[in-house]
Amino acid sequence: MKSFLQCVPLSGIAGNRSPGNRLRLAPGALLSLALIAACIFSSGCGATPAASYRLNMVEATKQRLTTEQERQVATVLLAMFGTPDEPVAMAWTGLDEAKLRLASGPVRSDIVGRKNGLYREHCAHCHGITGDGMGPTAAFLNPYPRDYRPGIFKFKSTERADKPTHADLLRILRNGIAGTSMPSFALLSESQIDALVEYVKYLSIRGEAELALMRAYFELDDDAEGKLPETREFLVDETVSPIAEKWELAAAARIEVPEMAADIDLAASVAKGRELFYGDKANCVKCHGVTGLGDGQANDYDDWNKAIVEINKEIKGGLSKAGETSTSGMSQGDADDYRKQVAWLGKFSHVLDGDALKPRTIPPRNLRHGIYRGGRRPLDLYYRIHAGINGAPMPAAKGTIPPEDIWHIVNYIRSLPYEFDGELGADRPMVARDRF
Amino acid sequence: MGSRLGGIFWSLVFLGVPVLGVATFALAPSYNIWLPRDVSEHGASIDSIFMFILVLTGVVFVATEGLLFWFLWKYDAAKAKGAATYIHGSHALEVVWTIIPAATLLFLAIYQMNTWADIKMRRPAMTPTVEVVGRQFEWRLRYPGRDGMLGTRDDLFLTNDMHVPVDEDILIQLKSMDVLHSFFLPNLRIKQDAVPGMKIPVWFKAKETGQFDIVCAELCGWGHYKMKGRLTIESRADFDRWLEETYAKQEATQPAPEDAVTAAAD
Repeated sequence: MKSFLQCVPLSGIAGNRSPGNRLRLAPGALLSLALIAACIFSSGCGATPAASYRLNMVEATKQRLTTEQERQVATVLLAMFGTPDEPVAMAWTGLDEAKLRLASGPVRSDIVGRKNGLYREHCAHCHGITGDGMGPTAAFLNPYPRDYRPGIFKFKSTERADKPTHADLLRILRNGIAGTSMPSFALLSESQIDALVEYVKYLSIRGEAELALMRAYFELDDDAEGKLPETREFLVDETVSPIAEKWELAAAARIEVPEMAADIDLAASVAKGRELFYGDKANCVKCHGVTGLGDGQANDYDDWNKAIVEINKEIKGGLSKAGETSTSGMSQGDADDYRKQVAWLGKFSHVLDGDALKPRTIPPRNLRHGIYRGGRRPLDLYYRIHAGINGAPMPAAKGTIPPEDIWHIVNYIRSLPYEFDGELGADRPMVARDRF
Repeated sequence: MGSRLGGIFWSLVFLGVPVLGVATFALAPSYNIWLPRDVSEHGASIDSIFMFILVLTGVVFVATEGLLFWFLWKYDAAKAKGAATYIHGSHALEVVWTIIPAATLLFLAIYQMNTWADIKMRRPAMTPTVEVVGRQFEWRLRYPGRDGMLGTRDDLFLTNDMHVPVDEDILIQLKSMDVLHSFFLPNLRIKQDAVPGMKIPVWFKAKETGQFDIVCAELCGWGHYKMKGRLTIESRADFDRWLEETYAKQEATQPAPEDAVTAAAD
């Protein structure tokens, strides 16, 4: 009995029939089919490997941790915080583990049809699995996505050095950050946004705990033999619990904003604001420029980038000096130390290549755009001026400038995008198409 | 020499094409992969042109595919008697099957002109209801404030959350802040590329209230798939109230009640 395929000749397509013609695929066709099959089957249908947190190598190298010490930090963090797929929230963190479960892990639905893995779906590609602001898309963005690990957040309603409130972070997620790549997540449900905020706090507390643990090695006595004592008292009460406490205090640290006078004369307030803007006390023009275009200066960094810049400076300086220094005049011990130092600088440089984004300056805001990253309410501008921006060069006016004056400056700022409307605005359309 | 079984097999395979083709369209609505619900005024004429073209091309499709199947079946070498004869073709036949499609296409071109003009050329004389700026990867909205003019101090700024009143002409001024996007309202049969450097008017009239999608229909980068917005069509009264409330929130000088929340309710 002939095989079925032999009954089904494919070679009739050309329209010719030669005798004894049986199934014969052209060799090229066979090869292509084989290659395609191989590609499909080699990529596999198995589960992707479980995600894991990356150790903060920049800090580990900065603290000159040994591999043993790095391993200890990783073990402690694993016990305290779990993995990206199975997070743990111990009581001292004050976090809700149910919300963390909603946000963590791979994207999947549970029995009730509720979506899990929210962080990985919406946030991880910029902010990274570890919350280090170094996800796959981060390098293409300006400004870089937030690195939660130092626990510093810019746009909030609390004093400069304090943590943001839960509502501050909800607001950021809901509205996004205008002028940056942080989108608005207003279309997610309230509970989903809430779970994501909880997870961001979790990553931030974890990141700060990692830093605290790594820095704790420096304070150890000699008899600790380079190992952190693994007691609850040392690890939790002394090292990491204070971090969580700061988050809990945030809600109480909201800035009290006195009401702007109800009968305020806007024009007079704007004029007063302009005076203050150009004055010596506030000295806004130093950075924001006499034009308000943000061209006052251009070589400052935010805290995240500044840390890398300083390390880079140290490495560059050290390595260039190393090129000129010879160890011949040194004692054996000194020469050994010196060589170790140079090796460390080289290692650090290598770590930065893989574990840090290229530093960028932070330009002062162009106030004539009308784009305000932390929110455009007068209240938001008041917060920015009063407390400055934590992590950025924007200083706090608290103490130097009384609240009514801050309101005057706020009114002036809000008038800046429209300052020349009378001359360039509605009655003289700038674009020919403007026929509305 | 192929077998008769082979001939039957391949004829039936080709018959499967028109059968599956028609079945797909017939079953599409019950699998929810048909046209989205239309709530616009001009949507009906667009959908009717779509259906007209679909039926016309469908008939031609079934006819030609059916003919193909018939020739495969009838003239299978395994059972055909006698050799094929070569002819030089039929001039008359060629003329017929050129003129008829050309006439049909010409008819279609003229038939749809009125609908096209309604959507793309007959702009209502009004100031824009809202300015929509496409940006990677969101829709930034700007409503003119009480003074009715865009670009003044009392504008309302929003992201992704667009409200319009029902049963009124709506005019949108479409721009892009960076790259090509396309402003797509599936339930209103509106699609217009947002071209950087251009201000493009888009207009429609919604007939029903509800919440619908705004999606981006021009690949604009890695976040194109998540560039979604929400369109809320509501009564004029609700729309005015929403404008007032949202503007008041934008001009807030004191924290909102929800900002006092330390940890959200479950």
